[in-house]
Amino acid sequence: MTRVRVQGIVKRFGDTAAIDGVSLDVRPGELFTLVGPSGCGKTTLLRIVAGLLDQDAGSVLFNEDRMDDIPPYLRNIGVVFQSYAIFPHLTVAENIAYGLKARRVPADRIAAKVAEVGRLVQLEGLMDRMPSQLSGGQQQRVVLARALVIEPRLLLMDEPLSNLDAKLRVQIRSLIRAVQRELQITTVYVTHDQEEALAISDTIAVMDRGRVLQVGKPWELYLTPGSRFVADFIGTMNVFHGRLEGSAAAAGPRPMVTTFGERWQVCATGASGAQIAVGVRPESLTLERGANADEVWNSLTGTVVEAAYLGAVVRYQVHVANGLSATAEIHNPDFAAIRAVGDRMTLWFGANRAVLLPESASEA
Amino acid sequence: MRGRRRDLWWTVTVTGFLTVLAFLVYPLATVLVTSFSGEDKRFVLAANYERFFTHRYYYSSIINSLYLSTLATLGALVLGTSLAFAVTRYPLPGKALIRAAANLALLSPPFIGAYSWVVLFGRMGLVNRILGEFGWSLPTIYGWRGILLVFVVQYFPFVFLLVSAALRSVDQSIEDAALSLGSPPRRAITTAILPILAPSLTAGGLLVFMGTMADFGTPMIIGEGLRTLPTLMYGEFMNELGGNPAMASTLGSLLILVNTSALLAQRYYAFRKAYNVVCIQPLRVKRTTRRRLLALTVFSYAVVGVALIPALTIIVSSFMPTRGPVMYAGFSLQSYETIFFRIPRAIANTFGLTAAAVVLDVVLGVLVAYLLARRRSRAHALLDSLIMLAYAIPGTVVGVGLIVVYNRPPLILTGTWVILLVSYFIRHLPYPVRSCTAMLQQIDIRVEEASVSLGVPPFRTFVKVTIPLMFPAIISGAALAWMTTIGELSSSILLYSGPWATMSVAIFTEVFSNHFGTASALASILILAAFLPLFLTYRVLGERSALGV
Repeated sequence: MTRVRVQGIVKRFGDTAAIDGVSLDVRPGELFTLVGPSGCGKTTLLRIVAGLLDQDAGSVLFNEDRMDDIPPYLRNIGVVFQSYAIFPHLTVAENIAYGLKARRVPADRIAAKVAEVGRLVQLEGLMDRMPSQLSGGQQQRVVLARALVIEPRLLLMDEPLSNLDAKLRVQIRSLIRAVQRELQITTVYVTHDQEEALAISDTIAVMDRGRVLQVGKPWELYLTPGSRFVADFIGTMNVFHGRLEGSAAAAGPRPMVTTFGERWQVCATGASGAQIAVGVRPESLTLERGANADEVWNSLTGTVVEAAYLGAVVRYQVHVANGLSATAEIHNPDFAAIRAVGDRMTLWFGANRAVLLPESASEA
Repeated sequence: MRGRRRDLWWTVTVTGFLTVLAFLVYPLATVLVTSFSGEDKRFVLAANYERFFTHRYYYSSIINSLYLSTLATLGALVLGTSLAFAVTRYPLPGKALIRAAANLALLSPPFIGAYSWVVLFGRMGLVNRILGEFGWSLPTIYGWRGILLVFVVQYFPFVFLLVSAALRSVDQSIEDAALSLGSPPRRAITTAILPILAPSLTAGGLLVFMGTMADFGTPMIIGEGLRTLPTLMYGEFMNELGGNPAMASTLGSLLILVNTSALLAQRYYAFRKAYNVVCIQPLRVKRTTRRRLLALTVFSYAVVGVALIPALTIIVSSFMPTRGPVMYAGFSLQSYETIFFRIPRAIANTFGLTAAAVVLDVVLGVLVAYLLARRRSRAHALLDSLIMLAYAIPGTVVGVGLIVVYNRPPLILTGTWVILLVSYFIRHLPYPVRSCTAMLQQIDIRVEEASVSLGVPPFRTFVKVTIPLMFPAIISGAALAWMTTIGELSSSILLYSGPWATMSVAIFTEVFSNHFGTASALASILILAAFLPLFLTYRVLGERSALGV
C-alpha cells in the first residue's frame, strides 16, 4: 500500500496560481477526496500527482520515492477520467488488457487477470463488445477495470461519476467503494459534489482557489467546519452575526446579542464586544425547546416565506430580519409541524449545536 | 511535457517550417521581389505594375479573370445550392445516385472538362458534325462562354456537397420556430436557414473563386486566345522570344493578392457568422405536388447529367477510331495502343510522382496535424497559416517561383523529377493536415493520457492509439491529395522537362497537336486513377469518409 505525500505544490498558468502551495498526506489504503467548486485546482492537483502535468514547485512522493522526474508511464498509476477516455477502437477485453500488454505480461496471465477484474466490476458477458455498444455506466466500469487490472500503486479518479444519471451514480459509487476496500488501493478522488465526497471518502480535503482549506473525516468537516467557506460548501449552513458578551474566563456558554436583537448563549472564546459569526445547520433548528434541562436553548422568531413539504422532511424558509433568513428542516413532521407561508414561527437550537465560524482571509 | 518528449516534436516543428519556407515561402517571396525588378535586375519601384495597368494587353487579363471567376462563382452557388435544397428537402427518387454523380463529377480535372466540351461542341466536334449534315450549326463553344460553362459545370458539385452537408446539420426546430413566429415558408428559408448556411455557402464560393482564378488549362484549351492571369503569366514566362520573368512575377503577385484577399475575406466573414447548431432532428423531407416533384426531379437529374457529360464523353471517345481531331463511330483500342507504345513513360511518371507526393504529404501531414491540434503555440499557428497558404496560391505561381529559386546554385532542381515532386507535395499538403486536425479535435486528449498513465510512453501511444483513431482522416486526406495531384497541370506544364512529362502534360500537348483520340485515352486513365481511391475509401470506411474539402 502506498502513502502519498504532496509537499508545497505550486502550479501557475500565466499569472494565476492554479495551485498555490498545497501539502497533503494520504494514508496507505485510504480513499482521499479532493472537493471544491470548479476552478479550485482539484483536477490540476490530481494531474500533477499523475505526472500528466508538471508542477512549478514542490514534490510528490509515493512512500519514500520522489516522483518529480518520473514520467507518468513509469509511475504505475491507474487513472479514471471524467470523460471515460475509453479506447474506442478496442473491445472491452482489449481495453482492460491494454496496460498489461504494455507491461509485457504473458498472454495467459493477461486473459486470467482480465476475466478476474471483469468479474469484480460486473462486466461478464460484455468482454467482446466495442465501446460504442456500451451504456455510460458500462463504459465507466471498463475504465475502472482498465485502471485496476495493472495493480497500480495509486488509483486516481477525476469526477468519475459526473456523466452518469443520478441512480447509476449511486450504484457505481458503491461499486467503486467496495472494490477499493477489497483491493486496498490508495485512492485520490476528485469531485465537486459534496454529497458524493461525504458518502465515499475516508478523508476529505476541501479546496478553494488553489489552496486546501481543511482536511478531515467527513463528519469532522460537517460538524466542525473551520471556516465559512467549508461550512457553506459541505452542506447548508445558517449564519448569524452578533456581538460577544461576558467574560472570556467564565466556563461554559457565553452570552451573545445577534444583529436582530436575540440574546443567545454560545460556546465561544474571545474578548467581550467582539463581532462573531455562528453557524447552525437547518436540521439543528427545531420547533420546540429540547427536553434535556441541562442544555442551554436559544431561539429565533420570524415569518415563513417558503414551505416545501417533502414527506420525510418539511423545509421552511423563515424571514428573521431585513436581509436575513434561516432555513429549517423539520424531520419526520407530524400535523403539528405544518406551517403556512405568512405564519409566525419560533425555532430552537441547542447551544452546543452552534459552531463558531472564524472569518478567515480566504473567504469570499 | 518532459524533455525526452520535446525532441521528436521539436524535430517535426523544425522540419515543417524548413519545408514550407524552402518550397513555398521563399519561392513566393522571390516572385513578389522579382515583380519589382527591372530588365537588368535592378530594383524598379512599380515599373512593371505601371506597365501592367497601362497596357490593355496586360490589364485585360485581370478583368477577364475577375469577370469569369465572379460569374462562375455565382453560377456554381445558385446551381449547387438549388440542387442541395432539392435533394435534401424533397422526396426525389434516387438521391444516393445524385450524390454519387456529384462526387464523380469532381474527379476529372477542369482542363479535361474543357477538352471534352471541345470534343462534343467544338468545330470538329461530334455534335457539330452531326448537325452539320443537316446544315445546322450551334453558337461557338470557344471563348468566354465556353470557359464559363466549364467552370460552372466543374465547380458546382463542391457547393452542392458542402451545402448538403450543412443542410443535414440544420435542426427542424429552426424552421418550425421561424414558421411559428409568422414567417411564410419562403421567408423562413431566407431569414432562418440561409444565414445558418452562410459559412458553408461562402466556403463553397471561395473554393470556386480561387479554383477558377487559378485555372490554367481551361482557358488555354477552350478560350482561344482569351487572356486570363494564369495563361498570360505562363505566356510571359515561357515566351519563345525569351521569357519575361519580371512581368510573369507581376502577374503572379496579382494572382496571389486576389486569392489571398478572397481567402482572408471569407475567413473573417465565416468566423463572425459561425453558429453552433445542435441538430437533434434533421430537416423534414417536404411533401409536395406531383407536378412540382416531377419538375424538381427533372431539374436535378439534368444538372448532374450535365456534370457527368465530360467524363462520359472522354471515356466513350477514347474507344472511338480517330484521325486527328475527328472521331468516327465504332469501337477501337487504337488510342490505347498508341499511348502505351508511344508515351508509357508519362503514365509511369504520373503514378510514381503522385504516389510519392501523397506518401510525403500524409507522413508530414499527420505529424504536423498532431502538433497543430495538441501543442498549439504561436509558432504552430504560424506554421498552420503558412501551410494553408498553399491552398490559395495558383499552381502557375508556385511553378514559376520554384523555377526561379531552384535553377541556380546551391540547389539546382530544374530539369529533374524532384522539382515536380516538390510542387505536388507542397501544394497538396493542406489536405491531410486539414482532415487530420479536424479529426484530432474530436479525439479526446484524455484517451492518449489514459494510455500514457497505463504505462505506454508518448510516442508509442501516438502509434498505438492516436494513429488508429485518426485512420479515417488519414485515408480521406490521402484520397483528396491523390485526386487533386494526379491531374495537376498548372505547375507541371512549367516544371516538367524532357522525359519527365506527366499524363496531364501529355494530354495537354496531344490536344494542342490535335491528337484527340490519345488525349481521350490518357484522360480516361486519369479519371479512373482518380476514382479508384475514392471508391476504395468508400468500401473501407463507408459513411465515415465524408469528402471534407
